[in-house]
Amino acid sequence: MSDVLDLPFTEAREQVSPAEYLAESLRAIERQNAALNAFLRVSDSPRGAFPLAVKDNIVTTEMPTTCASRILESFRSPFDATVIARLRAAGAGIVGKTNLDEFAMGSSTEHSAFGPTRNPWDTTRVAGGSSGGSAAAVAARMVPAALGSDTGGSVRQPAALCGVVGVKPTYGRVSRYGLVAFASSLDQIGTFTKTVGESAELLGVIAGRDPFDSTSSAEPVDDYVADLERGVRGLRVGVISEGLDKLSAEVRRNFDDAAGVFRRGGAVVDDVHVPSITHSIAIYYVVANAEASANLARFDGIRYGRRAAAGGHTSLQETYFASRGEGFGAEVKRRIMLGTFALSSGYYDAYYGRAQRVRQKLRDELAEAFRTHDVLLTPTSPEPAFRIGEKVDDPLTMYLNDIFTAPANLAGVPAMSVPSGFTAEGMPLGLQITAPHFGERVMFRAGAFFEKETGYWKRRPRASDRR
Amino acid sequence: MKIDRDEARRIAALAHLEFDEAGLERMAVEMTKILGYIEMLPDLPSAPSQGGSSTPLREDVVHQSVDRDAVAHNAPRFEDGFFIVPPVIE
Repeated sequence: MSDVLDLPFTEAREQVSPAEYLAESLRAIERQNAALNAFLRVSDSPRGAFPLAVKDNIVTTEMPTTCASRILESFRSPFDATVIARLRAAGAGIVGKTNLDEFAMGSSTEHSAFGPTRNPWDTTRVAGGSSGGSAAAVAARMVPAALGSDTGGSVRQPAALCGVVGVKPTYGRVSRYGLVAFASSLDQIGTFTKTVGESAELLGVIAGRDPFDSTSSAEPVDDYVADLERGVRGLRVGVISEGLDKLSAEVRRNFDDAAGVFRRGGAVVDDVHVPSITHSIAIYYVVANAEASANLARFDGIRYGRRAAAGGHTSLQETYFASRGEGFGAEVKRRIMLGTFALSSGYYDAYYGRAQRVRQKLRDELAEAFRTHDVLLTPTSPEPAFRIGEKVDDPLTMYLNDIFTAPANLAGVPAMSVPSGFTAEGMPLGLQITAPHFGERVMFRAGAFFEKETGYWKRRPRASDRR
Repeated sequence: MKIDRDEARRIAALAHLEFDEAGLERMAVEMTKILGYIEMLPDLPSAPSQGGSSTPLREDVVHQSVDRDAVAHNAPRFEDGFFIVPPVIE
């Protein structure tokens, strides 16, 4: 391979100088960003040993952080997120901030105030979401690695739809300090890379206790790269049965083939039931929206962000309503409304309380499954990337895309998406590997084996970069 | 749960969000549909509390905070160390 951006960064940085590596990345962004809209902003003079892209809801001092929202259009953070500080210290150079669904609320990046990100495999399709910009940037070889955030699948689903590796670590494994909060009991920062090994290396850098995030865990950080070459002989792999009946024949066949790869590698593969997964979307859209309605109360046009022009607004109260009314997009408002309703007097127990009880049952069922299994498999997404505009006016249909990914957030366990092949139309599909709490090491072991056996990561999209 | 326009108006007031009449109507229709889906959740009895883990507290000591000028830079209006807002009371 001649192009350094086709290599894992672990190899590439040994072949070129840091300055060349960053320059190569900036050139790839320059060539493709007009077609993909993956980056909202690109740095003019990044410094570091390897290029990194950052979802624009993670704060950085040298560039604004917009959350793809009008209300934060010109916000510049006075501090770096903890993950940014750690990655800079490890040599990362931030080349740009990537597009997302506004405040990370969406599954297609169409809810960005700055236009949708397009899929590098077919620019008429979505890149997935909410971290669509980061997924597209890695898939299109604009950068070797990117950060995203995952509240209900926002790293894993776009990773699957763009054909790259996406990791959501255990809740509390990575500090959320400097990640603009969406749903605090679900949010976790995660990584995008071409290969499993690169993600394992990056997680080793960003994981660990942070005094600025009291929910970050003091659990020692495991050696994530130790078992990458170990194979899966003897590994107990569970295939989750729920939800498979809703898959197209093509996605189902792809998933069955993936399970077969583990079987041939000597793993013990059997079916496992997690019945409450069928409720995960309903639980998720109560819990996440309730938490979002509280977290987004801070955006009021007073201390930062957009304030509505004085016009007829003469009181503080009117300024709040007008600033939020014009600053937030339709999907964010919809979720704040649903969350406010679910927490309002008289409805709290019927919605929020009920959802939390089913959430606990789902957690218990997953814990039970992990008593007899090391990792669990599902498809990452029930379908490949859909057309831009196809679902944007039907929120509920869009939400159903998260069926396989939301459970890991609700239970707090780690999960990753690994490329598992392509549809007849050439669109990527992803396999999701879920592990128990702080089981990232065995998750990476299983993912690395699958990647080595299948090698799908080597195929590169050409839709946005026909050179 | 059917959300009508008046209920949507009540929730919008709680949420500090401004909508025009058409926006309220659309919100009411969408919320009704989404809540209909959510209502398929089973109503389980409360499980006995398993205690769970508590949030660790940090030492109560003074640290260097972020720079005030950098914070002020993001405010729509900031003068003499104060955020400037419209009248709070008439």
